[in-house]
Amino acid sequence: MSRMNSRRVCLVCIAFSTSVATAKLPYVYTDWEHFTVKDGLPNDHVFCVKVDGPRVWVGTENGLARIDKPTGEVWSWQEKDGLPWQVVSSIDVNPKTGEVWIGLFGGGLARFSGGRFDHWHQLNSGLVNDVVYGVTVENDNVWAATTAGASRYNTVTGEWTIYTEKNAPMEEIWNYGVCYNNGKVYLGIWGSGVLEFDVATEKWKDYLDPDGEMEIDLYRDDGVVHVITTGVSYVDNILWVSSYFGMCRYDGRHWRGYYERETGLPSDFGNAVKGRNANEAWFATDKGIGVVTDFASDTWVTYTMDPNTHEGIAVVSRNKDVLEKVRSPQGIPHNYALWVEFDGNDVWVGTSKGLGHAKGTGYYPGLKDRPVHTPSARNLVDARQAN
Amino acid sequence: MHRHLVTLLSVGLAAGAALGAELAQKQPVYVGVRACATCHDGAGMGNQCSLWVRSKHARAYAVLAKPEAKTIVELSGIPREPQESPMCLGCHATGAHAEEWEKDEGFFVEDGVQCEQCHGPGSEYMDQSVMVNPEKAMAAGLQMPTESDCMVCHATKGSHVAVHNRPQIDIAKALQRVAHPTPSPWKYDLGPKLPEGDSGDHHPAYIGVFACAACHKGPMMGYQFSKWRMGPHARAFATLATEHAYEIAKEKGTGGSPQTSEACLKCHASAFFEPAGGQRDSYWVHEGVGCEACHGAGSEYAQEARMLDARAAHTAGLKDVTRQTCLSCHENAHDKPFDYEEAFAKIAHPTKLAQAAETPRYKTPLNLALTPDGRELYVTCEASHTAIVVDVASRAKVAEIEVGRHPTDVAFSPDGQRAFVSNRLDDTVSVVDVVSRTQIATIPVGDEPHGVLTDRSGAFLYVLNTSGDSISIIDTATLRETKRLAASRSPWSLSLAPDGSDIYVTNNLSRFVPFREPSMSEVTVIDAARRVVTERRVVPAANLMQGVAWHPSGKFALITLNRTKNLVPMTRLMQGWTITNGLGVVWQDGQVDQVLLDEPNTSFPDPADVAVTPDGKWALVTSSGSNRVAVVDIAKLIEMLTSASAHEREHVFPNHLGKPTEFVVKHIDVEYGSRGITITPDGKIAFVANALDDSVSVIDLDKLETVGRIDLGGPKVITKVRYGERLFHGADITFHRQFSCHSCHPDGHVDGLTYDIEPDGIGVSPVDNRTLRGILDTAPFKWEGTNPSLQRQCGPRLAVFFTRIQPFTPEELSALDNYICTIPRPPNRYRPLGAELTEAQRRGKIVFERTMANDGQMIPKENRCVTCHCPPLYTDRQRHDIGTKLQFDRESHFDTPHLNNIYDSAPYLHNGIAETLEEIWTRYNPHDQHGVTNDMTKDQLNDLIEYIKTL
Repeated sequence: MSRMNSRRVCLVCIAFSTSVATAKLPYVYTDWEHFTVKDGLPNDHVFCVKVDGPRVWVGTENGLARIDKPTGEVWSWQEKDGLPWQVVSSIDVNPKTGEVWIGLFGGGLARFSGGRFDHWHQLNSGLVNDVVYGVTVENDNVWAATTAGASRYNTVTGEWTIYTEKNAPMEEIWNYGVCYNNGKVYLGIWGSGVLEFDVATEKWKDYLDPDGEMEIDLYRDDGVVHVITTGVSYVDNILWVSSYFGMCRYDGRHWRGYYERETGLPSDFGNAVKGRNANEAWFATDKGIGVVTDFASDTWVTYTMDPNTHEGIAVVSRNKDVLEKVRSPQGIPHNYALWVEFDGNDVWVGTSKGLGHAKGTGYYPGLKDRPVHTPSARNLVDARQAN
Repeated sequence: MHRHLVTLLSVGLAAGAALGAELAQKQPVYVGVRACATCHDGAGMGNQCSLWVRSKHARAYAVLAKPEAKTIVELSGIPREPQESPMCLGCHATGAHAEEWEKDEGFFVEDGVQCEQCHGPGSEYMDQSVMVNPEKAMAAGLQMPTESDCMVCHATKGSHVAVHNRPQIDIAKALQRVAHPTPSPWKYDLGPKLPEGDSGDHHPAYIGVFACAACHKGPMMGYQFSKWRMGPHARAFATLATEHAYEIAKEKGTGGSPQTSEACLKCHASAFFEPAGGQRDSYWVHEGVGCEACHGAGSEYAQEARMLDARAAHTAGLKDVTRQTCLSCHENAHDKPFDYEEAFAKIAHPTKLAQAAETPRYKTPLNLALTPDGRELYVTCEASHTAIVVDVASRAKVAEIEVGRHPTDVAFSPDGQRAFVSNRLDDTVSVVDVVSRTQIATIPVGDEPHGVLTDRSGAFLYVLNTSGDSISIIDTATLRETKRLAASRSPWSLSLAPDGSDIYVTNNLSRFVPFREPSMSEVTVIDAARRVVTERRVVPAANLMQGVAWHPSGKFALITLNRTKNLVPMTRLMQGWTITNGLGVVWQDGQVDQVLLDEPNTSFPDPADVAVTPDGKWALVTSSGSNRVAVVDIAKLIEMLTSASAHEREHVFPNHLGKPTEFVVKHIDVEYGSRGITITPDGKIAFVANALDDSVSVIDLDKLETVGRIDLGGPKVITKVRYGERLFHGADITFHRQFSCHSCHPDGHVDGLTYDIEPDGIGVSPVDNRTLRGILDTAPFKWEGTNPSLQRQCGPRLAVFFTRIQPFTPEELSALDNYICTIPRPPNRYRPLGAELTEAQRRGKIVFERTMANDGQMIPKENRCVTCHCPPLYTDRQRHDIGTKLQFDRESHFDTPHLNNIYDSAPYLHNGIAETLEEIWTRYNPHDQHGVTNDMTKDQLNDLIEYIKTL
């Protein structure tokens, strides 16, 4: 384990244009700080982030890190420090016990408690497979989404239950994402859409793309946009889904699909999704972060990094109309975004080149009347490129 | 037959919901002897069923009603009725381990050892079209038992020898006795034609003895069914198939088989005694002279409500038995004299049993705690399932409170209103109202709760689940568990820091360590404010960390520990360097020091608990192996540590036998089996629980002397078992009293270590330590199976290789073995008594018993799980090569371990190389030598393990 003091860079939002009018607009994050190997992360490929009170757990391609927010200290653990496997693909924290559950890509599942790692894998336990993409804590159970099905581990009885095509409507068994909230576990599965597990009844429900495996959406909003799903997030009774061919939202009755061509999504290739509430969700894609900030008005903020200047670019849009563009000295660390995590008003973004921390001073949900930063000619060009 | 098929179908359907139709259809069920007898009786079939009825096998269930059976279960530590214990029924009945869905409705466990015990459940092969083709029948599950199959039950059992003292069975002769060859050519025999019923509904019908047995069995009914079954009446029909019966029939001029002769049947089968309204399906002529022969056909009076009303029962046909009832058949029968009184006495079957003498019940006080006001002392007594209250002023027992089974530790709420008692056998905590001295609630917790403690506010109760490796946190307002934290292995005791911030938890067993590496034990630290684990401090090379107490300064806590050198044989025993005993100093900053309490020539075996005086001057440590308390001068101890170099603290002190003289100021003698210790708030008195003396010792802390013994009221007599228990826990048997049996088998269980035993040389054949819980009938002993009895296991060999002084005397050895036999298994946590298997366990059972691999290939019998791990002990008590021999192993064949409660004795395999049950097959069975398992999917393996944990 090693520790390092983070660079605490005070960022000032710099708008390149002046406001001339007010309009109902979403909050835009412009105050970003970055964490990379230089700041103490064990690796810059950040696969997952989990906020646990004052602690931020970070999973990377070569180790686990913890950022202690009050002090800014960064702690890290690699295999030499007892971490059972180098690639940390997912993290969740048991809110009751404080135990940190870690999905290891190729190494199974680990629990970090009291400074010690315990390790479960397919040889020493009932875990179905060691390639763990997602992990979530559901009551006294821990779920692991693996490449060969989902495992549910009862931490009280020690019982392992495997869910595959044998006992769940899982057409494919390559589980990518898993989340738990409000009595429901959702699995995002490569080739099998989304599965819903009702904890009370232990019944499954599947959500498949009515258009089959076609990469076009014949009838829009008729279901999950594609069966190759990568992430799921369930909040305020709304299910948000990311896939490799677009994103979607489901309110229990109606589906809504989102595509790059008609929204502020920077790409249809979604790596992960995190819903903040029923109206706001953040999609991590291969070309930046797309945020639907207000579901009703379909208002988006697209966060990208200018590859030339490394400045942050935030574009506010509605129906592909750019309403505002804001540049900041820093934005997301890299456009290949892999994870999003909320932290009160703040947001953490994991990318293939470090971790971004967006500080949400003055954050407000939805839309609010505020001055509009009119895009300059240069910025409009950038905005088109960004979209 | 048709009825059977319907039943099968329904069973199949029920199972199918969970198993999938494919498997369910193939799962055989027990059909019972009656189904077999449909064909297998009569002269043309060698009177096979009649031979069975006359055999001891048919009475095997019934004999469990004998007093000897009670003695055997007591000796075996089985806390159940023999006729309800799967352990007994496994060999005294058929299908005892089958689930309800695996039994046809015509199957009765009360039929004892019947056809399917040896030939396998019959549903799939019983059909005539299958049975006429032996190959087909075998493929469908028919088994032809070998001698070794018989020996699964008939091999010598220590418990049975102790009670019956019978010689080992001559299996060849026994097989001759039960031989029942099918004649060649064979011929079906229809059997007797049963009397037709009288016309009219008012005539009662014969319902058969099993209808009566539904109520008239078990101890509450005087074992009436079993008494009948053991008597000659039950064999009355079967005897008609004997040569003697044929001779008598011939003399009487009756042609053909006596079993079809109405003249014979008149007195040899109930339904022929008196005309009645026919017979119900439940009646079977093979029952011979059943209840209804004397009491009248039962269809109208058998209902429970009617039987409870004597007048109504008689009105409905229940007859009083008179002299004439018996004489009608027995008077001058076959010229045999008949003494009515004598015969009646022999078959008497009153509902009330004669009162048996009770064995002495000891108290076995384990731990104790003072009420916050210091006026009363609560003592948890494991054997009497009580908490005894002692008045501190008068030093006398004033009350005894019934709590759960095996109460282990006790703690009070800060206001002193409630006491919390952990019940290790029940997995509960008893809540005791201190004022009324009654148990007012029980709280379910995890496996084998041990230490208990409330936080400073009293809002939360911490319970250490010793077998579950977890810590339950109970909200004391709602008495509900709010969360369960992970501990290390076998959390034992806990202590709250003086400022209420941290709780230190000792763990009795080491963490799993790589093969052939030293122990690595842990003190688990809990933040009492957040109720989460914050640290897991490592105590290297230590194990059996039990007692813990904070110093009032809050700078450190003291823990008791052992340092077991299990990686080398006990060749250094003479130097006092094999199992050393000591203290750990766990500093608040995370550092841990270890020192010994052993001195040259004066060991301090099995330190069990520690208490610190309120002024922080003395630490008192109990030694359960030597019945002493060590008084530690804490200031001297700390001075010694803090003035030493880091090297000394890490490498010298933990093993230095000379150092204790610098800080141990006195040893105080107490009584047998000193365990828990506590000190009064004024620091004047210490109380010590003497587990094997049923007493509490009183130590005056000014004088540092024992000044009294508080008798807790246990029996004054020392039984043989109690004597053995003292020997087991005492270290007198080892050179310089360095350790006891308990040191490696704490409380009869495991220490989780792998040992290198000397006879085979140093570094050769390391073996996993095995639990003593329920081992009585699992001989041979040792992994190599070389010790045929406990007497051999614990005899001179023990002295040569372990204890290094004179062995136990024959008297001691006998008592020790007696005690070891009574160490019970706790109830199975994965399948509570009477609970049905879960779906996963049910699927696992099918895997455990499977005969075919996933590819449809037949698994050879010798490579099926259930062949070697056969019920009831789940061991065939044979040695097998399962491919686990390693480079330094001397042998390749190892004893088959029993699987009862196997989940709580990790690690596994002969060398303890498998940390989990999964690893047995995922890592150490590459060539399918330990059962065919490599074809299994991961979910099948999970199911198998879920089932194995229920055994």
